[in-house]
Amino acid sequence: MSTEETTIGELLAEQLERLFSREVDRERIVAVEQGRFDRALWDALEEIGVRLALAPEEAGGVGLTWEEAEPALRTAGEWAAPVPLGETMIAAWALGRAGLEIPDGPVALAEEIMALDEGGRVSGSASLVPWLSQCDYLLVVARQNQSTHLCLMDRQSLELSAVDTLARIPSSRVQCHKATPIDFAEIGDLVGELGLLPHIATLRTVQMAGLLDRLLSLCVEYGNDREQFGRPIGKFQAVQHMIAEMASQAAAARVAGLYACRQVDRNRAIQGATVAKARTGPAATRGAEAAHQVFGAIGFTDEHILHYYSRRLWQWRSEGGSENWWAERLGREVLAAGGEKLWPHITAPATADGEDS
Amino acid sequence: MSSPFTFKPLEIPPELEPLREQVREFLREAGRDWSGWKVGHSWTGFDKDFSRAVADKSWIGMTWPTQYGGGERSHLERHVVVEEMLAAGAPLGAHWFGDRQSGPLLLRLGTEEQRRRFLPAIARGEASFCIGLSEPNSGSDLASIRAKAVRTDGGWLLTGTKIWTTNAHLCDYMIGLFRTGGGDTKVKHEGLSQFLIDMKTPGIEVRPIRDLTGENHFNEVFFDEAFVPDDMLVGEEGNGWKQATSELAFERSQPDRFMSCFPVLPELVDAINKRGSPDRLAAREIGATVADLVILREMSLSVLGQLAEGKTPAREAALVKDLGNSHEQQIPNLARDLLDLPATIEQGNRLSELEGILTQNVPSYSLRGGTREILRGIIAKGLGLR
Repeated sequence: MSTEETTIGELLAEQLERLFSREVDRERIVAVEQGRFDRALWDALEEIGVRLALAPEEAGGVGLTWEEAEPALRTAGEWAAPVPLGETMIAAWALGRAGLEIPDGPVALAEEIMALDEGGRVSGSASLVPWLSQCDYLLVVARQNQSTHLCLMDRQSLELSAVDTLARIPSSRVQCHKATPIDFAEIGDLVGELGLLPHIATLRTVQMAGLLDRLLSLCVEYGNDREQFGRPIGKFQAVQHMIAEMASQAAAARVAGLYACRQVDRNRAIQGATVAKARTGPAATRGAEAAHQVFGAIGFTDEHILHYYSRRLWQWRSEGGSENWWAERLGREVLAAGGEKLWPHITAPATADGEDS
Repeated sequence: MSSPFTFKPLEIPPELEPLREQVREFLREAGRDWSGWKVGHSWTGFDKDFSRAVADKSWIGMTWPTQYGGGERSHLERHVVVEEMLAAGAPLGAHWFGDRQSGPLLLRLGTEEQRRRFLPAIARGEASFCIGLSEPNSGSDLASIRAKAVRTDGGWLLTGTKIWTTNAHLCDYMIGLFRTGGGDTKVKHEGLSQFLIDMKTPGIEVRPIRDLTGENHFNEVFFDEAFVPDDMLVGEEGNGWKQATSELAFERSQPDRFMSCFPVLPELVDAINKRGSPDRLAAREIGATVADLVILREMSLSVLGQLAEGKTPAREAALVKDLGNSHEQQIPNLARDLLDLPATIEQGNRLSELEGILTQNVPSYSLRGGTREILRGIIAKGLGLR
C-alpha cells in the first residue's frame, strides 16, 4: 500500500466524519428506525462519491482496497450512519469485479447462498436482510452445479416480510422463488464457499470497531463532566479501569476489523472474518456493558443517544454470523488439524481461502 | 477516526519462513526431553546451556550492530525467533532480560565502553541480567523507592533493598534503579539513576524467596555500601525514571506477555480429540481462544513496528499487556472447563504437569512488569480522563 493511496482512504473518512458528525443526530436515527429512508443523507454521500470507493476503476469506481476503505467503513459505524452505505459499497465492489453494471442507489446484501436454475432463475431465502425495504436491489450469490454466480435482484421480484431486530434498522426476511435477476455473472473464486457472509461479517466488525470508539469517547467525556461525591466520576479508579478495559476492547476490535479487510484484499475473506468476528463479538458485549455502567440510569433512557449505539452493537454481533458461530467453525478446524498444527496454522503466511498453507 | 491509540499493521513477510523453520528444527532437538513442568516456566526458566546454544545460532542480540556482537537483523526476524521459542515454552531466562531490555537500553544510552563490554557478552549467552526495580515498600508506586547511591571516590556506594528480582540468584549483572538525589514527595520522579551492577560486588547479598510453587524464582537483594565505579552509571545521572520507563514499551508489548501458557493449547486440542468427537462448547472455546491470540499477535507486531521506527508507544504497549495477560491467565482454566482433569498432578503427563505449574504461576502474570491496575491507569490517562 503506497502512502498516496492511504491518504485517499483517510481523506474519504475525514469527509465522512465531517458529514456524519454534523448531520447524524438522534432525530435522524429515530426517523430511520421508524421506517423512513434518509434521502438527504444518502444524496450527500452520493455527492462525496463514497458509494463507488471499493468498485474497480474500470467499473467507474475509485478502486480502493478494503484496507484503504476501512477508515470510511469504520466512520460510518462510529456515527451509526442510518443508511446502507457499507452494504452498497460491498455490492459495488462485487458487481464491478464481476463485470456487471453497478446500479444507482442503495443495494442490500443477502448472507445466504441461493440456487440458480438452468433457466437463469434464482430460488432461495434469506432470514435477515437489513435495509432491503429501503433499497431497489438485493445482491445474491447463487450456485448452479459447481459454478458460483453473482445475481442482482430487483426487490419487486422478491417476497419480503418485515422482521424485528435489536437495531430497529428496517429489515426483512426474503423468499425468492424462481425470480429472474436483472443481471448475473459467473464469478469464479471472487467469493469463497460462504458467499458474501464473510464480507458482511467484515463490514459488521469494522462498524462495531467504529461504534466502540464512539462509546469510548462518550464515556471519557461523561467521566470528566459528571460529578458525584464532589468530583468527576472519571476520578474514581473503578470507573477509570472500566473505561480503560473498554479502550482495550475497542482497540482489539479495530485491529480485528482491519485484519479482516486486509484478508479480503488477499482473497482470504473467510480466514479474516473468522478471526475478526469471533474476537469482536465479545469486545462489543463488554464495551456496551461498560458504557451502560458508566452512564448509569440516564443512559438507559429512550431519549439518550447511548442505546442507539449499544443496540447496534448487540445486533451486529449476530449479523454476518455470530461470534459463536465463527468461533465454533474455527475451533472445529483447529481440532480437526490436531495440536501439532495449531501454532503453524497461526503463523502461516497468507494464502487464499481454500488453498493449503 | 477517533481512536486515541495507533495500531498500524505490520506483517511478517514469507521470506522469513526459512528462519522460522530453522528455529523449529533447533527446538525439536533442544526440547526433546523438556518436561511439561519445565516448559510451563516458559521465558523465566533459567538454563544457561540452552542460552549458549541459542547464542551459537546468533539468536541473541539479533538486531544489534555487529560491532557489539549483534547480527544487524530486522526486528521482524527477531520476532520470529522469539515467538517460536515462546510457542515451545523454551527456557529463555538466562538471556531474555538482557536480550529484551538491558541490551537495548545500553545500546541506546550506554557509553561506548559499556556497549563493548556487555553487549557481546549478552549475545554470546554468557552475561545474564536481572532488573532491580521494586523494593519492600515500593511496588506499584515505583517512584517512591529509597535504595540510594551515594557518591564516593571514583564511584558510588549503593545501600538499600531490592525485592522480587527474578533470577537475581543466578544472574551476573543487574540494571538497578537507585536514588541519587531528590526524594521529596513532590519531585519523587527526579533524582533517580540507573546503574549497571556486577552481582559479585562485595556488599551485595542475594536472599532467595521461595514462591508459592515451592520453587525459588525471585529474590530479595540487599546492598550494604556496595561499590559501583563511575563508569557503570547508565545514561544520565538523575534521568533514571525516564530511562527506566522508556524501556517499558519494549517490556510490555512482546509475545511473552500473552504466550506464557501457549504450550497448553496443542495438548488441550489433542486431549479433546482423544475423547471423541468434540462438542460445540469445546469447539467454540478453542476457536475463540485462537482468534484472541491471532489478534493479540497482530497488536504486538504493530507495536513492534512503531518501536522499530523509534517511537515510544507506551500506552499501546500497556494495552497489549493488559489484554495479553488476561488471555494467558485464562488458559489453565480453559483446559479444566473442557476436560475432566484428575485432581492429581501426573508426573510424566505433559498436560497434567503444565496445568500443575501454570495454575499456580498465572497470578503473577498480571503483577510482573506492571500490575493490571497500573496498566489501566496508564490507559485511562492516555484517554484523557483527568
